[in-house]
Amino acid sequence: MKNKTLNTARILITVFLVVSVLLPLVRLILNIHMEDVAGIMQSPQFKPMILNSLATTSIATVISVGMAWVLAWFVNRTNIRFKAVFSVLFTLPMLIPSISHGMGLVLLFGDNGLITNWFGINIGLYGYKGIVMGSLLYSFPVAFLMLTDVFQYEDYTVYEAASVLGLSKFQQFKTITFPNMKKPLISVVFAVFTMIFTDYGVPLTVGGKILTIPVYMYREVIGLLDFSKGAIIGIVLLIPAVIAFVLDLKSEENGNASTVTKMYEITDNKLRDKIAYIVCGIVIFLISLPLAAFAYLSIVKQYPIDMGLSFANIKQAFELGVGGYLLNSLTIALLTSLVGLVVIYLTAYLTARSKKSFSTMTLHLISMVSLAIPGIVLGLGYVLFFKGSWIYGTLIILVLVNMIHFFASPYLMAYNSLGKFNEKLEDVADVMGVSRIRMLLDVYVPCTVESMVEMFSYLFVNSMVTISAVSFLANFKNMPLALMIPQFDAQSLIEATAFISIIILFVNGVLKLGVYFVKRYIRAQDIM
Amino acid sequence: MEILKDEIKLVVKDLYKNYGNEDVLKRISFEVKKGEFLSVLGPSGCGKTTLLRILIGLERQDGGTIEKDGVEITNLSPSDRGMGIIFQNYALFPNMTVLQNVEYALKLRKDKKDDARKIALETLEMIGMSEHLDKKPRQLSGGQQQRVAIARTLALKPDIILLDEAISALDVQNREIMKRELKEIQKKSNSTMIFITHEQEEAFYLADRVMIMSEGNIEQIDTPENIYKSPKNQYIKDFVIAHLEQKYESLLKCTGRIKNEE
Repeated sequence: MKNKTLNTARILITVFLVVSVLLPLVRLILNIHMEDVAGIMQSPQFKPMILNSLATTSIATVISVGMAWVLAWFVNRTNIRFKAVFSVLFTLPMLIPSISHGMGLVLLFGDNGLITNWFGINIGLYGYKGIVMGSLLYSFPVAFLMLTDVFQYEDYTVYEAASVLGLSKFQQFKTITFPNMKKPLISVVFAVFTMIFTDYGVPLTVGGKILTIPVYMYREVIGLLDFSKGAIIGIVLLIPAVIAFVLDLKSEENGNASTVTKMYEITDNKLRDKIAYIVCGIVIFLISLPLAAFAYLSIVKQYPIDMGLSFANIKQAFELGVGGYLLNSLTIALLTSLVGLVVIYLTAYLTARSKKSFSTMTLHLISMVSLAIPGIVLGLGYVLFFKGSWIYGTLIILVLVNMIHFFASPYLMAYNSLGKFNEKLEDVADVMGVSRIRMLLDVYVPCTVESMVEMFSYLFVNSMVTISAVSFLANFKNMPLALMIPQFDAQSLIEATAFISIIILFVNGVLKLGVYFVKRYIRAQDIM
Repeated sequence: MEILKDEIKLVVKDLYKNYGNEDVLKRISFEVKKGEFLSVLGPSGCGKTTLLRILIGLERQDGGTIEKDGVEITNLSPSDRGMGIIFQNYALFPNMTVLQNVEYALKLRKDKKDDARKIALETLEMIGMSEHLDKKPRQLSGGQQQRVAIARTLALKPDIILLDEAISALDVQNREIMKRELKEIQKKSNSTMIFITHEQEEAFYLADRVMIMSEGNIEQIDTPENIYKSPKNQYIKDFVIAHLEQKYESLLKCTGRIKNEE
């Protein structure tokens, strides 16, 4: 047949994903010993650990989503200016690792924190308070982005109809806004819950005596090399992610067919706008505090003994090998985003632009499975599955695990933008004798270049900040920079951790800025 | 241009297609003459689109044969059948200009590569799109986009052109214009056209012969006049004749030729 290359590509990618997604998971499950299950369940830590995780995650999720809703509402439903600037600033925390959020709080509110020392207030950071605060910083930008998306696609005509019928604002909220938001809101809640539930970075740094599930797993695997127990905990961590995944699949089936016939019209309300400015301003101030602390501590001589400024810490950090780890990170991030872009885009092309068949549906499903696998669980699966093979201990395995860990989101970006094209284009190509590869290169790639830049950026930034999937796979040779934060923290090299956070923020900031200009350039080209 | 009414262009024999446990085409046979304009008329789900997709090779039949100019083409790939197809929603390449859209496939063909620009310009001239060569599809109206799609197909010089509800997406005014133009284009390009539609007037207006389909069968295939005068069965009377007469009646009412009885 004529589309042999595409069929081969489809088979190759399916095999690749089965090996790199499903088999490690199967290996993980096979690694579980039943006596360990009983052992964990009966251990005195088990019950409090589960309760701690559920409690901190639930509280942080509610606050995070609530706060994100308010901010998204302010940015999308008021007449404040500089909306784009606010949006960018709200998402700054996404550019640093979760563990940096914990470290930031330690630097500000810890026993020796800047605010603790300057103002003489000790808020008692370590424990529930710290975990909730850190998780909030870590997760609300994601919720904010998701909710902004929801707000932007709300159709105004229903509100007009409601006004004509004489429904009050509150009634409108009850009968239109809330029912409209219910489904996406459930998705946001699950996404945020999963994110916080599976993160070990924040509770490791500010959890104090409070033990959570991922921290336990991290210690069992990193500290005690107990893979069996790690695997059991991994399965526990999988549960909320799998539920979220199934829910999302279901809501996708129902289709998001709502079309916007009219953009939302914002009424004049000076008081509302004033409140919006104040709240957004306060949030940005709070977000920038830890970032400022990183910058400040990077250039303090020896905190808190000698507060003079110098570059000695930075010099010391480089002597400790920060340069080499930065190079590791950049290599990993670049390879992940370049290779990932090609593989993921091609996968999306195969599923979005081919007739629905068993093989394309299978590929589509496997491509999204990574959404349901927390990074540390995937990482442990990789340790168990790839141990002893040539790839183990190399940079390549870190690139591979990151690519798989972050596969689903860019995949969906590509899938959605490719799905928007006229469904008859392939028929036209077949009749005119244009091969699918030519169509890909001559039509689809030029038309979706902006999505590709977005995919690249997503993969790069996430590879720079991740501490989850890579944590069990890295050794001192291939270790990415973000993983040096817990290492340095353990050695009380606080200034070095602050400096690392600043470097990562800087690299990602530069990348985002570059992406902004590239996208502007692409739009100016007027491709379609 | 003289239409050779008696030369047979396409012979379809016992064409059969089955989806799951439903027979979409129930072993249908018909012939199309050279230079003929054949309308295939039927409600949605009658199998007409499947027929068209099988004729051009986008789908595989489960039985039967297709012959073109006496040569069997049943198992050829779509691009080797010397046919063109025009869809309802144009399906232009969105990143290419009008000229590039028409030129693109020509450039990929070894034998036409060198003359690609010339052929494209000539075809666009014939179809009246010479003023819009550098525009992108989104800058064109629906009617203009459809013209580009037609030019893109004509440029490859197919001798049979299939039209899949090709003017249904246009507004009423443009539809009338395109109807007339389609006949012009057919004359100029000397091609055989098979026009799929669910609209009775369109089918009857354009066609030399009309083929009426329902539930995977051919109900009748004849000239519009013959079908109107002697519909073969009750289905055709209900679906076609009654419909056309209602239209006619409303026209008479509007012109005052008949009075409202109530």
